[in-house]
Amino acid sequence: MRRLHALLSSDRAVGLLFIAPFVVTAIVFMVYPVVEAIRMAFYSYNPLRPDLSAFVGIANFEFLFSDPLFWDSLWQATVWTLLSILFQTILGVGIAMLLHRALFGMAFFRGLLLFPYIVPTVVIALIWRWIFNPEIGVVNYSLLASGIIREPVYWLSTPTMAMASTIMLNVWKYTPFVVICVLARLQTVPLELYDAAKVDGAGFIRRFIDVTLPQLREVLIVVIVFRTIWTFNKFEEIYLLTKGGPGTSTFNLAVYSFEQSMASLRLGVGAATGVVMMIMLLIGSIVYLRITKFGEEVR
Amino acid sequence: MRVKDQHTNKAGLGRREFLGGTAALGLGASGLFGSKSALAQSTKTGTVRVWGEPGPYGGVGVAAMNEWAQKNAPGLKFEIETIPWDNVYVKLMTDLAAKRPPSLISVESPIAMQMMAEGLLLPVDDLVEKIGRNRLVDGVKWDYWGNWKGKQYVIPAHHQPHLLLVRMDIVKELGLKDPDTWDWNDLLNAAKTISEKKQGMAGFCMALGRNLCTDYHFAALLHSAGGRMYDPSNKYEVMFDSPQTVEALNFVKELRPYMPKGAVEYSFLQVVDAHVTGQTAMSFYWGRTLGRAAEEAKPVFEATEAFNHAKHPKTGRRNNWNDFQGWCIPAQNNPFIEEVKQALVYQQTSKEWLIKYCHSLMPNVAPTYKDIADAPELKNHPFYQSKSKTVDTYFKASLAHSSSTANELLQGPNPLAGYVHGRSILAQTVQKVVIDNMKPEDAAKWGARELEAIRKENARLLG
Repeated sequence: MRRLHALLSSDRAVGLLFIAPFVVTAIVFMVYPVVEAIRMAFYSYNPLRPDLSAFVGIANFEFLFSDPLFWDSLWQATVWTLLSILFQTILGVGIAMLLHRALFGMAFFRGLLLFPYIVPTVVIALIWRWIFNPEIGVVNYSLLASGIIREPVYWLSTPTMAMASTIMLNVWKYTPFVVICVLARLQTVPLELYDAAKVDGAGFIRRFIDVTLPQLREVLIVVIVFRTIWTFNKFEEIYLLTKGGPGTSTFNLAVYSFEQSMASLRLGVGAATGVVMMIMLLIGSIVYLRITKFGEEVR
Repeated sequence: MRVKDQHTNKAGLGRREFLGGTAALGLGASGLFGSKSALAQSTKTGTVRVWGEPGPYGGVGVAAMNEWAQKNAPGLKFEIETIPWDNVYVKLMTDLAAKRPPSLISVESPIAMQMMAEGLLLPVDDLVEKIGRNRLVDGVKWDYWGNWKGKQYVIPAHHQPHLLLVRMDIVKELGLKDPDTWDWNDLLNAAKTISEKKQGMAGFCMALGRNLCTDYHFAALLHSAGGRMYDPSNKYEVMFDSPQTVEALNFVKELRPYMPKGAVEYSFLQVVDAHVTGQTAMSFYWGRTLGRAAEEAKPVFEATEAFNHAKHPKTGRRNNWNDFQGWCIPAQNNPFIEEVKQALVYQQTSKEWLIKYCHSLMPNVAPTYKDIADAPELKNHPFYQSKSKTVDTYFKASLAHSSSTANELLQGPNPLAGYVHGRSILAQTVQKVVIDNMKPEDAAKWGARELEAIRKENARLLG
């Protein structure tokens, strides 16, 4: 009894109490779904007939790897992720450097920059559908009015343009996240480094390559890892904008998983897709962090 | 059907005003068979959830049920939950899987037939007798709505075919023949002529997106060519890899240059938009286009007439895709089964409510009972004055050409059709030709493989 009392009144107990809500939440909303998805990946499961659920071994994975649409979706997910991250990083760093200046009204512009990031995706996707509308969309109107194009561009009606449009949407929405992270880091870079480089005769580009980029390295590694994971898993933007079409030209693995689970009622195959995605991202992240030697300075 | 038209229907008259008017019209007539309200009062309380497709008619049906509830179950309130068209399958399946079905569903026949074969619906033969087994309009059978192994699972809500909508002002201007006499070649020629001679206007429009609308549009062409997906008389053997499928796909390919460029992503709403905004002179669609045009584009409404589809040159078939939409009652996790049955009988035996139902979106939802189809009150609608032939084509003349994926060429129910539409197999087959430039022969083979996969996975449904 005395030991229990001592335990309850110790700092350790208070610590446990504080982390308990997170641990419980994580178990219920993260650990359990992952474990359940892994379990379901080895079962055939039609949600309308749960009584017919049966263990099927690796049959769901065999189905996946023999389905051409799975490989198409994987390739398209890779293209969509790499191009999105590339443009987000380049634009994010560029905009952050522009905003890292003490000009009048800069705080307002920094606030405005967050707009795409805070607006719900469903609203953005619907607005973009209007913007991209070939007949009445503002993009075509502007391009036609300025003489850049002579005929309306069908932004969402051809495979290449639809992929480009979904990438544009993703870049527009998530570049602010990169800007915020990079801007925060830029504000902590010691000015002495730039002064010293100037004294040594370094121009703007040389200062950017030799001072700014090395200082941003750690934050960029983290941002790229997170953005890659989030983009690769992204479902709602593609589904709301193109539903994976035209055809299946903008399917990524998340859309593929949804279609298998909900439209085809093959929940086992959908879960197997999720497991494959998880493994790919895990391996990719570890390899990337190893290659970039993330955190080595700290050690 | 289709399109989020929730507003007005009669030209120049708000839907509420209009419904108020028809309610007054019907107040004197208390229903063909009376209300059959000699039923025990229910003491249950709560909300009875009803699923329906977009459009005012589901709400009218539920209003009738609430009238029943006021008299017989004062603690209950029927409430309509509208399911958007392109999400109907996902919404139905996820909610049913989550064991929270509504108490009543108004749904299209492919999904109803899948659910009934799956054992998810309650047989309603007892209601058929109360409603009147001999009331159906000529040319239809109870089976068309949903009968499986001798039991009826679906009560008719309406039938709604998609037809060929034509801008007659353009046809006359260009000296084209009467669309009622067209075969596929004439339709193609008309689409070509219009595209070439009318600047900025497509000759023809159908949905080509990966969606339900494309499935329905293509199915009509497939059936007109004499093709099918499955053969119910031979254990649902897949029939899709056939010259008829190839022919239908080739026809879509030939029509494609005369459609709006964005058609490859079109679904229900966009086809209506294309017609109502004058982007196209012809389209495949249900009666909803006319309701929308009456509201938003009077000249388009006045110039547009509906025809049975162009004949197939060899078979002579003019098949449409007719949705035999009906009411069905989920059998599991449904606390209001008895109340729903009684309310449904009340609605189905009330002439005033059934006429209001049809009037709520003319000429989209066609009457299913003779006494309603022939009722003088039904004709008390402006569309009957301005477009009597078109309305009659939707309501009656189309029935001779009915077909659907749930009952292909009316040769037997197909419980696999729901899965086919859930996976958009027909639409994907079409897209392989019009987007991926796959040969129609190869696309037909691809579609056949997908249909065979569905058959194998769901062999349990076929008994």
